[in-house]
Amino acid sequence: MDLKYSDADREFRARARAWLAVNVPTAPRPAHGPASAQFDRDWQRKMYEHGWAGVAWPKEFGGLGLSGLQQVIWYEELGRARAPHYINTTYIALMHAGPTLIARGTQSQKSFHLQRILSGESLWCQGFSEPNAGSDLAALKTRGRVEDDVIVVNGSKMWTTDAMHADYQELLIRTDPGSERHKGLTWLICDMKLPGIDIKPIRTMLQDEHVNMVFYDEVRIPKANVVGEINGGWSTALSTLSFERGLGFIGDQLELYERVNRVIDLAGKTRLESGKLAIEDDGIAQKLASLKADALAIRAMTLAHITESDRTGQPGPQGSLMKLIVTATHKSLSETVGDIIGWDFLEFNGDRAAHPWTYDYLWSWVFTISGGTSEIQREITADRLLGLPRAR
Amino acid sequence: MFLAPDGDEIEITNAAADFMANAMPIERLHAADSADMNAALRQSVAEMGWFALTLPEADGGSGLGPVEHALFFREVGRMSGPIDVLTQCLAAMVADDPQLRAALLAGERAVALAVPSGSETRLLGARDAGCALEVTQTGARLVSIAGAQTVERPALAPACSMRLLPHLPDAVLATATGAHVWQMGELGTAAMLLGIAEAALDLIVEYAKIRETFGRKIGAYQAVRHPCADMALRAETARCQLWYAAAALAEGREDAGTHLDAAKHLCNQAALMNTDADIQLHGGIGVTDEHNAHLLLKQAMLLGKLFGGKRALLGQLLTAQVQD
Ligand SMILES: Cc1cc2nc3c(=O)[nH]c(=O)nc-3n(C[C@H](O)[C@H](O)[C@H](O)COP(=O)(O)OP(=O)(O)OC[C@H]3O[C@@H](n4cnc5c(N)ncnc54)[C@H](O)[C@@H]3O)c2cc1C
Repeated sequence: MDLKYSDADREFRARARAWLAVNVPTAPRPAHGPASAQFDRDWQRKMYEHGWAGVAWPKEFGGLGLSGLQQVIWYEELGRARAPHYINTTYIALMHAGPTLIARGTQSQKSFHLQRILSGESLWCQGFSEPNAGSDLAALKTRGRVEDDVIVVNGSKMWTTDAMHADYQELLIRTDPGSERHKGLTWLICDMKLPGIDIKPIRTMLQDEHVNMVFYDEVRIPKANVVGEINGGWSTALSTLSFERGLGFIGDQLELYERVNRVIDLAGKTRLESGKLAIEDDGIAQKLASLKADALAIRAMTLAHITESDRTGQPGPQGSLMKLIVTATHKSLSETVGDIIGWDFLEFNGDRAAHPWTYDYLWSWVFTISGGTSEIQREITADRLLGLPRAR
Repeated sequence: MFLAPDGDEIEITNAAADFMANAMPIERLHAADSADMNAALRQSVAEMGWFALTLPEADGGSGLGPVEHALFFREVGRMSGPIDVLTQCLAAMVADDPQLRAALLAGERAVALAVPSGSETRLLGARDAGCALEVTQTGARLVSIAGAQTVERPALAPACSMRLLPHLPDAVLATATGAHVWQMGELGTAAMLLGIAEAALDLIVEYAKIRETFGRKIGAYQAVRHPCADMALRAETARCQLWYAAAALAEGREDAGTHLDAAKHLCNQAALMNTDADIQLHGGIGVTDEHNAHLLLKQAMLLGKLFGGKRALLGQLLTAQVQD
């Protein structure tokens, strides 16, 4: 057991910090619409051009080929520099589409897509969930008819985040007409500009329209876009989900400590209705200190898991525990801010920059529901980590 | 950077687990008068060198550090080992007279832990002790209590006797200054609490796989599975932070104290909440005297008050900062 960073780690951190200090965009990110996606692409392109994209991706695919630990350092420095939040329209491409292609893609899929992902040229979305297949993903019904060298897709996906900005989609469909559940599925790269795709936004409680329904009417996708095997898509999907759960929240995991400190500062400046400073309130002070301990432990957990997978070469089974604690701590911090700022917490117009704390509070349900609900993470933990008899 | 037991550390863990399972299995606490270490037990712990684990080799120790200390006490915690084991280790760190130190390392002299209790002093463990160790965040002193009048108090936690003493005598045998002894005490109690949190999880997971109701194993009910998952999460969080704190102490990092406070707080919480859930999820059998579940709970309640309770730890954490 040791906490030592190598000279290379330290040098990497110093270079990252110096570069970020002068290169982080100063203009705020537009909250909605094409301008937001353009902002994300530009920032990703800038990181790519200066040699900061894909820290832990293999060199042969345009990454830096560095360790998981150095990737942690990079995300820490992004957080410290208050760089644009990593959960933006590039997120799916970088966090799970790219890694899925690296693990399961064909040579030509890799050479076409990976560099475009790293440079911000292609944005991706995830078309897994459907109106009747969320937690129970294997219930999905969107169909693909296999014809010569194309797969013709009909059906609908739901909750597809940023579909309107995306160039490509991770599309999971049923290609074996008689199949049930996990069998007979196929994971496809879907070009979002193909004819027959129709996107309808869903307005959320955050007053935004980032998630969508996507309808497919005779959409013809080349067979060459299959990732993994035709009818063997479940296994590819599991790799996508393992990337999503393994590293999906890394930025938040590392940033929480800074965020707790910001709230402690806020509590030191904000008066409660009683006239006393929020930080002088025992309940609030204890809650904040306890959140600080949680944030430290989340960082320790991140380092423990990453340095273990640096050795074993694969993520461990603790991703579900991580998602549970990060999302719960995030929510609890937002609730505490609500206790501190009083009426201001009840002002909101959908603008994250103007009402960051209320926005984060509302977003906390996105966090505990998308990417597998907290209940499902507990199920996975009970099955795989504890080996309890199955509930389902 | 690596944050889990590795190499020799795994061997120490295994050796500690084997030793505890033989010398102090938790089942011992179902017998009457099982609190504390008796002279024979103290001697067998001494013979294995556990009291001397972190003392420099020049002082008769093994020259190991906080990481091994934490690994050992996690195993002590799993068996609800008496606080005496820790007190004896800490007292040996305080003793500078070679003869006194040798007697402590050999388990020939027993030491009780002295903690403030209102206007009096409470002595924990080692009922036969001739001396007592008082530890604060800035130092420690070992005093003789030979001949002092103590009043035995009924102890909730079966592993540890409790006595009251109007005031601690001034017969000082040894003193230490600085935070070291306190931090090793905090680390040791945190590690024992982690062991308790893990042991409680193991007990319920094992039971949930065999107990049936309504024709199904209880482990198939989500009202049982989900609290178990939460127990696993609390143990994992506390464990990772404890390893971080132990390594930070071993490497002499400036922020080690803060990481240790966070670890102690999380271990307090994990042990109390996991032992609580463990009893509940066992149903009726969980409240019986013959079951181990209550032993873990009661020991957690005791250890949660030592070397940093909730209020003090949170007070310190609020303003503390850490490094990269
Ligand atoms: C904002 C947002 C963005 C999203 N983005 C995407 C995206 O980009 N791409 C994509 O494919 N999907 C996306 N999702 C979908 C997300 O993955 C699903 O919403 C999620 O998996 C839950 O599925 P569901 O909504 O169908 O709820 P359901 O599965 O109907 O669940 C309803 C409730 O029942 C509980 N439940 C269900 N099954 C069990 C069980 N076995 N045991 C215990 N409790 C259970 C759930 O936890 C939940 O509380 C997004 C969702 C949201 C809200």
